[in-house]
Amino acid sequence: MRRDVQAVILILVGGAILRISVGDTFLNYVKESMRPWLLLSGVTLVVLGVLALIDVIRRARRGETTEEPDPHDPVDDEGHSHVHGPRAAWLLLLPVFAIFLIAPPALGAFAAARDTTNAVPPAEAKAPPLPPGDPVDVTVADYVGRAVWDSGLTLEGRTVQMTGFVTPNPEGGWWLTRLALSCCAADAIASKIQAVDAPDLPADTWVTVTGTWIPGGGTKSSTAIPLVQVQDLVEVPQPKNPYE
Amino acid sequence: MSRHADDKDTREKRPGYRPGSLEVLAVLLLVLIVAQRWLVGVFDNPALQTGATIFISIVVQALPFLVLGVVLSGAIAAFVPPSFWKKALPKNPALAVPVAGAAGAILPGCECASVPVANGLMSRGVTPAAALAFLLSAPAINPIVLASTFVAFPGEPMMVVARFLASLATAVVMGWLWLRFGKQEWLRIGPRDHLSGDNPWHTFRLTATHDFLHAGGFLVIGGLTAAFLNVVVPQDWLAAVAGHPVLSILALAGLAVVLSICSEADAFVAASLTEFSLTAKLAFMVVGPMVDIKLVSLQAGTFSRKFATRFAPATFVLAVLFSMLVGWWLLT
Repeated sequence: MRRDVQAVILILVGGAILRISVGDTFLNYVKESMRPWLLLSGVTLVVLGVLALIDVIRRARRGETTEEPDPHDPVDDEGHSHVHGPRAAWLLLLPVFAIFLIAPPALGAFAAARDTTNAVPPAEAKAPPLPPGDPVDVTVADYVGRAVWDSGLTLEGRTVQMTGFVTPNPEGGWWLTRLALSCCAADAIASKIQAVDAPDLPADTWVTVTGTWIPGGGTKSSTAIPLVQVQDLVEVPQPKNPYE
Repeated sequence: MSRHADDKDTREKRPGYRPGSLEVLAVLLLVLIVAQRWLVGVFDNPALQTGATIFISIVVQALPFLVLGVVLSGAIAAFVPPSFWKKALPKNPALAVPVAGAAGAILPGCECASVPVANGLMSRGVTPAAALAFLLSAPAINPIVLASTFVAFPGEPMMVVARFLASLATAVVMGWLWLRFGKQEWLRIGPRDHLSGDNPWHTFRLTATHDFLHAGGFLVIGGLTAAFLNVVVPQDWLAAVAGHPVLSILALAGLAVVLSICSEADAFVAASLTEFSLTAKLAFMVVGPMVDIKLVSLQAGTFSRKFATRFAPATFVLAVLFSMLVGWWLLT
C-alpha cells in the first residue's frame, strides 16, 4: 500500500471517529465517558494522516517513490512481504463505511430478546425508598431491581414513570425494555418489564409509561420479569442516550 | 504530485499497467457512495443491524486504547534508547519475566494497547519472554481494571485479590514457558529499519502510523468475528451448564473468548452472570484480557499466525487452571 493511501485511511478513520463523537451518535455504541478519549484519538489519527500526506508531497517533489521502501523485509509465514506496507489496513475502511453509510442504530428489541437474565441482584440488600414525586421518574433497571429483589415493597402505592422501548413478548403483549452498558454495546444488559393493559405496539417503539407496580412475574430470581399496570402511555422519540 | 511517482512505479517495478492502491481506493469510494441506498436496504434486518452495531461498538471502544498503544510503541522506538531496557530489567531472562509481569500493573489500558507496546519492547531488544509476560498481565492487573472489579463485586473484596493473583501467575508462567519452549521464528519482529526516520519525531510518526494501520486491520477482523458470534451463539445454553462445577467454568471462559469485551468492563458483565459460581466468574475475568477473539487476531497480525495458534490456546489452558486453583483457595 502506498504511503499516500495509508495517509488517506488514517484521515478517514480519524474523521469517522470525530464525526460520531462530536455529536451524540457515539452514544449508540459506547458510554458517554468515552467522549474525550474518542476526540483525542480522532484528532491524533487525523494529525498523523495529514503529516504523512505532507511527507508524501515533499518526497514526490524530490522525485522519490511513495511506495513504503522496505527492501529487506522478509516474506513472512503468511506468504506476503511488507513491501507495500500493511495490507490489513484496507480493513479499517469497513468501520469507516459502516459509520458514514449505514450508521448502525442503537441496540433494540432484537438484542434485548436474546438476553435471558433480567434482574441482577442489587448491591444493597434493601433499596432506599423512592424519592418524592407523583409520578416519580425511575429507570427500568431500578424498577426491575426493586420489584424482583425487594418484592416490590418500595414500589407499593407509588405511581412511576419510565421510558423504554417495546420488545415483543413471544407469549403475548410486550416488555418495556431498556439496555444498560458497562463499556460498549457488546456488553449490553437488558432490563424488561411486562406492560399490563397496554395497546399493541411494533417492536422498538420508544414510549414513556406511567403506571403502578402489581405483583406477579416472580421474585428473587435473575430471570424474573416483573409487571407494571399501565395507566398512561405516550410514544416518544428515542432519548439522546438510548442506554441507561 | 503523486502522478509523477505513479509513473515511476509502473516503469520501474511492474510490467504493464496495474491499478495502484490510490486508484482502487477512489473506485471503492465511488461505488459505495452510489450503492448507499441499496446497502441501507440490505441492513434493514434486526439481526444484521445488531451485528453491525456490536461490530462498530467494539471497534469504537477499542480505538482510543489502540491509539494509546501505538503512541507508546512509537515513543519507545523513537525516544527510549535500547540500553534503558538492559538497565531496567534483570539480565537473567528467568528473573526478567516476573519483573515485566509485575510492571504490567502500570499501563492503564485494555488489551488492545498492550499488543503494540509489547511488539515495540521486543524490537528494542527486550527478551520476548518478558515482553509477553507484560503483554498478558498489563490489561488484567492495572489499577483501573482492579478498581472496576472492586466496584462490580461489592460484597466480595477477595475477588480483586483473586483476579490479581490468577492473572499475574498466568502471565509469569506463560513467560517462563516461552523461555523453555518458545521459538524466535514464531515472532515477526526483526529490525524495523524502514521505520527509522530523519529524526526522533519522524521515527515516532512512522512507527505509530505503521503499527496503527497494521493492528487496526486485525482489530477489525476480531471485531467482525466477535459481533458475528455474539449474534449467532444462543445464550440459553449458558444457563444449562451454570450448576455444573467444571463445565460452568469452561463455559464462562469460552464466553470471555467469544464476547471480546474490554478488560475494564468485563467485571460488570461477570457480575451480571448471576447463576454462576464465583470461580467461574473469576475464570471469565482472567481469560478475557488474555485470550479473546479480537486479541488473538491482533496477535496473529502483529507477531504471526504461527505464534497466535500456539500462544493463545496455551494461555487459555493456564488461565483456566490458575482460576480454578485461586478460586478454590480464596473464593470458597
